[in-house]
Amino acid sequence: MDFIGEFIRTIPDNLVALCVAIPLLGAVFSGLLTESDDTARWGALGASLLAFVASLALLLDFDPAAGVQAVDTLPWIPALGANLAFGVDGISLVLVLLTTFLMPLIVVAAWDHADNIRGYLAAFLALEAAVIGVFTAQDLLVFYVLFEFTLVPMYLIIGIWGGANRRYAAVKFFLYTLLGGLTMLVAVLYLYQAGGAQSFAYDDLVNAAQGLSLVQQRWLFGAFFLGFAVKVPLFPVHTWLPDAHTEAPTAGSVFLAAVMLKMGGYGFIRYCLTFFPDATRELSLGTGTGFFSVPWMLVLAVIGILYGAIVALVQPDIKKLVAYSSVSHMGFVVLGIFALNSTATSAGVVQMVNHGLSTGALFLLIGFLYDRRHTREIALFGGLAKQVPIYAGLFLVVVMSSLALPGLNGFVGEFPILLGTFQAVPWAAVLGSFGAVLAALYLLWAYQRMFQGPLEGADNEATTDLTPREIGIMVPLIVLIVAIGVYPQPLYDLVQPSVDGVLAAVNGQ
Amino acid sequence: MTDLALTAPPIAWSSVAPELAMTVAVMALLLMTIAGRRRMWVAAPIGVIVTGMGIALLVATGGDGSNTSVAGILTIIGGVGLVSLTIGLAGNPRILHSSIAGLGAGTALLLTGWQVLSVAWNGGGPLLATVAMEGSVALDGISLFTRITVYLSTLLVLPIGHAYLHDRGIHRPEFEPLLLLSATGMALLGAANDLITLFVALEVLSIALYVLTGSARRDRRSQEASAKYFVLGAVASAILLYGFALSYVATGSLELPGIAAGMANPAAPLRLLTVAMVLVVVGIGFKVALVPFQLWTPDVYEGAPTNVTAFMGAATKAAGFAAMLRLFIVAWAPLADLWVPVLAVLAALTMAYGAWAALVQTDVKRLLAYSAVAHAGYATIGLVSRSDAGLSGTLWYLLTYAVSTLAAFAAVIAVERRNARAVVIHDLDGVGKTSPVVAGILSLAMLSLAGIPLTIGFTGKLTVFSAGIGAGLTWLVVVGVVTSVVAAFYYLRLIGAMFLHDPPAGRPAPAYSPGWNVGATSAAVLIVFFGLQPRFLLDLADLATQLVR
Repeated sequence: MDFIGEFIRTIPDNLVALCVAIPLLGAVFSGLLTESDDTARWGALGASLLAFVASLALLLDFDPAAGVQAVDTLPWIPALGANLAFGVDGISLVLVLLTTFLMPLIVVAAWDHADNIRGYLAAFLALEAAVIGVFTAQDLLVFYVLFEFTLVPMYLIIGIWGGANRRYAAVKFFLYTLLGGLTMLVAVLYLYQAGGAQSFAYDDLVNAAQGLSLVQQRWLFGAFFLGFAVKVPLFPVHTWLPDAHTEAPTAGSVFLAAVMLKMGGYGFIRYCLTFFPDATRELSLGTGTGFFSVPWMLVLAVIGILYGAIVALVQPDIKKLVAYSSVSHMGFVVLGIFALNSTATSAGVVQMVNHGLSTGALFLLIGFLYDRRHTREIALFGGLAKQVPIYAGLFLVVVMSSLALPGLNGFVGEFPILLGTFQAVPWAAVLGSFGAVLAALYLLWAYQRMFQGPLEGADNEATTDLTPREIGIMVPLIVLIVAIGVYPQPLYDLVQPSVDGVLAAVNGQ
Repeated sequence: MTDLALTAPPIAWSSVAPELAMTVAVMALLLMTIAGRRRMWVAAPIGVIVTGMGIALLVATGGDGSNTSVAGILTIIGGVGLVSLTIGLAGNPRILHSSIAGLGAGTALLLTGWQVLSVAWNGGGPLLATVAMEGSVALDGISLFTRITVYLSTLLVLPIGHAYLHDRGIHRPEFEPLLLLSATGMALLGAANDLITLFVALEVLSIALYVLTGSARRDRRSQEASAKYFVLGAVASAILLYGFALSYVATGSLELPGIAAGMANPAAPLRLLTVAMVLVVVGIGFKVALVPFQLWTPDVYEGAPTNVTAFMGAATKAAGFAAMLRLFIVAWAPLADLWVPVLAVLAALTMAYGAWAALVQTDVKRLLAYSAVAHAGYATIGLVSRSDAGLSGTLWYLLTYAVSTLAAFAAVIAVERRNARAVVIHDLDGVGKTSPVVAGILSLAMLSLAGIPLTIGFTGKLTVFSAGIGAGLTWLVVVGVVTSVVAAFYYLRLIGAMFLHDPPAGRPAPAYSPGWNVGATSAAVLIVFFGLQPRFLLDLADLATQLVR
């Protein structure tokens, strides 16, 4: 009994490690230890809820001003100076919360998935553990390992449980991200060796990076950038995303869009900005000469915003439309991050949370509809608002959130991003704001075609409204969408001090 | 009258203790085969004698817990094991033979552990490097780590292949002795510190492998593979020997450190040495399958019985690289400016060729053969780094590769037993549904070979890449990274076939056997365990940097 008491006493000190360990244990339990599908379901739900509780406990103890905290360190590979070190600052914390908040909803959404549910849930829980590890790692090698490892469960989720063209999509997803990741590995090792770091600990490497020349910084920035840009995804390495989204099962799309894309944005802030401040300033504000007088990061972000939006306009498939809208919205996130001022960069982080909520909700809703109709062709729907009013109402709220209607969460992220960017590079903000206009266009147009007009066709007339379980999944999302939209200050209070710390390092203060 | 009595040099048995255990097992197996039905009357006495020797060692030291007495205890374990196996499995000669071979390899592995802890251990510092047998055998990091890799591979490959050999009707009594002899040659190759020992060890391992490759006597592909391997291998050996001869002429020494010393002499004939080095690169490049000397690999891998292929891939590569490390880092160190660029270019070519050639293969064994070629390139990155990190990185990489490739071939064996013919990718369709264990093991092996994190293969790639960048060979590491992505594609093809395709109706599930279960599961467990926590053996590899110079 002493042992148990001792264990309970150590819980408050190891909350971050618990956030990683609980889903992992859940994955082992659901995937390997139980033969019963029902036990696996409840086990997965229990694990994901426990992880959520652990992350909430983390939030209660959190002091936004204190930087990285609740650090947990275990020795891992002493020969390489790598430790299993986890900790959170404001940026990590909100992304961890986003992950743990969505996970129980994903488990419930996947509840009736027929085909090998145990493996399915285990893959998701393993993914959750790895992603939380990515957001909290304080050791670059641990970060890299988990960052790459997320490929494996996602590959299986798309490849085994995906749609008709799943093999192509899964392999494309895997190879794109692996290429980006391995390029980053070279940079990680180069940074470690060239900087003469003693370990892979984050702080050690930040110090090691101080000694790099500008040319070295540019190359390493490029390598890290490629790794993260593929994940975000940023034009022109985004082409895996629409395929992956279209083929992935609903829960897979939700996790991919809501959580996994954020690893890219997180990586930009945590690693690109702090490790290579000089290269960052050059590439994002165009302060250099010649090639480097162009704010390339903002250019790419704006291209992503506009390109994603324009391509989304013409998609006949609603899921693909949302996938391209993700490219566009994540472009806003990147724009905010690389505008390098407190307003825009904090808003970039907040917008990652918002995008996770609204796009996650959209993919869930599309999944519900697909379960009923087995199609996602926008043209095959019409006038559904009369037939499925609850569904249509929820869809409208989420669409409004996604197109940044004031009062909903999308606005409180997107508007400050454009505001901050305008202070830094006005034309980028002006061009970017066209993306917001286009978002209203393609989302409302799709809504109009699907839900308004006359209700025609036997399929449309036979479509049933949401079940209580489905409504139950949506309610927490809608609540948060509205809550953040009305009162975003707590979120900014969490994020802004950490972002300011990063920016101080970038601007050499 | 002067004293004419010759004093024989003392033989440091401890330096070859694991090989002794292997040799005893080989002798026991051969004698048992000759004895036929009276095999028990041969094996039991040998076991008793071994036990007696162990007791003698123990008594001689008074059981004081010293190094020798620990060796005595291990010897007793081996002897008693032999006696009890002989009695316990008297009714089943096939399993008896395999078990004795396994006992030999297991004892050798234990004795290697003993060597590490009692002879070379240096309180956490780099392992002590000593020579024995008048300088012809080295006891240092390379030899100890190679032993671990080789004996571990032997230990795993024996149970994995047991039922397979039975199925194909090629389980003849000479199989295990030849396998053990080959393994002994590999271990000695890792320890050889002069050119003669090195060459003899190389021939011991090669000749045994030629025979093993052709052991499927009724299978033409096996015969073809054996003939091809033998002819090309003999040519490579001759070229290597010529290189050795020239370097002896040029430096006047057969011992590797002596060769380095001879080269340092300004009067050394540089041109002759260069020719010698080129010949050595060709000869040894053949053994480890570096491009452009890899042409035999796919045919031999495809034709040989699959468990021999597994052994060849896992252990021969480790031994060949051990010899390469020692030759280039110790003997040819003064000529590093010459061989580093050559080997670096060869490494790049090897990685690229292996990866691209594997892309278009449909036969799984051929695919794994090209992947073996690619992996030789990765291991070479550590060698050309010429640093402690590179040395330990290569040694560790070879172990990770051995474990992963054994697991891969184990899965191929399970499918091949059901097929009774060569396994093509199509045969893997839907294995994930009919037999998740085989599919799981093969997937783990593929992820590990692709170097995906949380498998042992990632730690291997990490160490050699890190060493390469540390040595300023960033371009080579970039080549490694690009080829890794290409390689991931064909590894994924296998995983995809198993999990993403549906099994054709009416196809029986892959065949298991108890031995296969033990061997394949152990390999899979090692992949995951060392993927999650590589520190135990990686620390050892890190200490293996002290060489006899």
